[in-house]
Amino acid sequence: MAPALEADALTIVRGGQPALRGVSFAVRPGEVHALLGGNGAGKSTTLLAFLGFLAPAQGSVRVEGADVGADPAHARRRIAYLPENAALYGHLDAYENLGYFLGLAGLRAGRGAIDAALDRVALAAAARTRRLEAYSKGMRQKVAIALALLRETPILLLDEPTSGLDPVAIDEFNRLLRELAGAGRSVLMVTHDVYGACQVADRIGLLRDGALVGRFEATPGARIDTEAVHAAFVARETA
Amino acid sequence: MSALLRELRLLARDRAALALLAVALLAAAVAVASGLAEVRQQRAQLAALADADRREREAVAAQQADWGSAAYYTFHLTGAPPSAFAFAALGLREHGPWQHRVRMLALEGQIHEPDAGQPEVAVLGRFDYAFVAATLAPLLAILLLHGLAAGERAAGRHDLLVATARSGTRLWLLRAGLRIALLAVALLLPLAVGSMLEGTAGAVALVAAALVTAHLLFWALLCRWLDRDGATPPSTQLMQGVGAWLLLAVVAPAAIAAVAERRHPLPEGAAILMAQREAVNAAWDLPKAATMQAFVARHPEWAAHAEVQRPFEWKWYFAFQQVGDEAAAPLSQAHREGRAARARTAATLAWLAPPAALERQLEALAGTDATAALAYETAVRDFHASLRQWYYPRLFRDLPYAGDELAQRPTFTPPPG
Repeated sequence: MAPALEADALTIVRGGQPALRGVSFAVRPGEVHALLGGNGAGKSTTLLAFLGFLAPAQGSVRVEGADVGADPAHARRRIAYLPENAALYGHLDAYENLGYFLGLAGLRAGRGAIDAALDRVALAAAARTRRLEAYSKGMRQKVAIALALLRETPILLLDEPTSGLDPVAIDEFNRLLRELAGAGRSVLMVTHDVYGACQVADRIGLLRDGALVGRFEATPGARIDTEAVHAAFVARETA
Repeated sequence: MSALLRELRLLARDRAALALLAVALLAAAVAVASGLAEVRQQRAQLAALADADRREREAVAAQQADWGSAAYYTFHLTGAPPSAFAFAALGLREHGPWQHRVRMLALEGQIHEPDAGQPEVAVLGRFDYAFVAATLAPLLAILLLHGLAAGERAAGRHDLLVATARSGTRLWLLRAGLRIALLAVALLLPLAVGSMLEGTAGAVALVAAALVTAHLLFWALLCRWLDRDGATPPSTQLMQGVGAWLLLAVVAPAAIAAVAERRHPLPEGAAILMAQREAVNAAWDLPKAATMQAFVARHPEWAAHAEVQRPFEWKWYFAFQQVGDEAAAPLSQAHREGRAARARTAATLAWLAPPAALERQLEALAGTDATAALAYETAVRDFHASLRQWYYPRLFRDLPYAGDELAQRPTFTPPPG
């Protein structure tokens, strides 16, 4: 079976500077794969390449074996994307936002299905009919996560998904990700959060200056060692 | 269809967009209402004048005892009633004459006397539908359509929208198409109501609607081009769009008029008036035979009846009126040809500026452009010539006066609108 996502010697140039340099990795079906790195390491660039927003200068990106450059619509159909600080429409409430974006994806969901998704991200029922401009950052993030859930795509790309969430919500989110992976969905998330990544990811790649400089993998029955990843992260960042 | 409804529902929650569409609807409705009021007032004025004119002619005829007096004292109303589409584009009807009361005297002075018209209106223009469609609508289109993609990028939604929709191009085209369609509806609805109230020919209304829609599409394409990479900030795109609007909708029409005027200089109406009046007034000081010789030279059919025996004869009086017209004829001809040439030059240059082109096309459909004004003037000249043809045999052959024949005098027929 083809990997859900695959980058092969991927090089991306942005503004005349290499943003990714020969990055290769794959995300298997049902796997949670985290990319860790500091600011400007190339984490978000990697996600945008899988969505077809950035064309490789060298190498390739594939979604379920299909080249993204040749068929970006296929990639976008199979992927639910959660951008960092997902800004939905502030003048719409949660139901209206989800209805709009689901429609954009060619999907429909009844009020019951939307409520079930919002329950899973623990968005208070009373808040759901309020305009998003009155929401906190974390509440908006929950609506965006609910959107990713409702799309029911086999692949999720998450850019700093726990940004703005409180610790309880982060724990709930991490549990949710494991549930999704258990159900066969593949997740590629990029984050600064070493602890969170180690809690949830099956594999971690460490990015620095556009290059993949470290890899960590969970073993059966044991999560990835947070201290080892933290040490590598700090060492690389301060090198 | 569901995509259209989805975007329509989203737009229905956008207060700024709704406000702009409401402004478009209101502006078009006010312009149409104002145009309807204006053309109805013009028709009412013509009808009232026609009635007064008929009664006055009857009263004057009852008091006359000879053909010359009848010709001298009788006024004849001429007028070009507004077309059924004139409400939409008042054009030259605003500051050019569209009615006269002519006598059998020298005509050029009577035609060019009101040339000064309403100079303040000529400078400022009028808030008619053509102005709304040609000048105001592009600004509303820019405000509605600028930065559709870049605005979403600035709000942080661009990538999520495109990733979810799978194709950004289709999404932006759908949004732009919906907005421009609603703007077109807001602008065309009042025009349709006005056309129905006026009984405008369906073909004319349809062509006008097509022209307005094509004009809006031009501005939509311009906005799309400015937003082609979705990266230029919306505020910058707004400035670029407004700059294009200033250039094409404000500066270019004025520049086109200036170029046409500079390229085709015209004698002033006052100069024509002066040339004709000087020739007429000079006749009082000339020997009558000199005037009649000049007249007969151009109108030899009256040579056998040109002798003036009494101190005052009407045939001499009307002959020197015509000699006065003929003295001003070269200037008058140059004036007409210059106006036509200006109109042609302006029409050609207008294709460089879509708002100017639209305004000209709407005025052409409405019969309120220079061509229509010249056609009306030609009709007045033809009518005046027919009056002379009717009176001259009676004056030059000194036929006995028969007041009941006055009813057979020619009547003015306006040019087809």
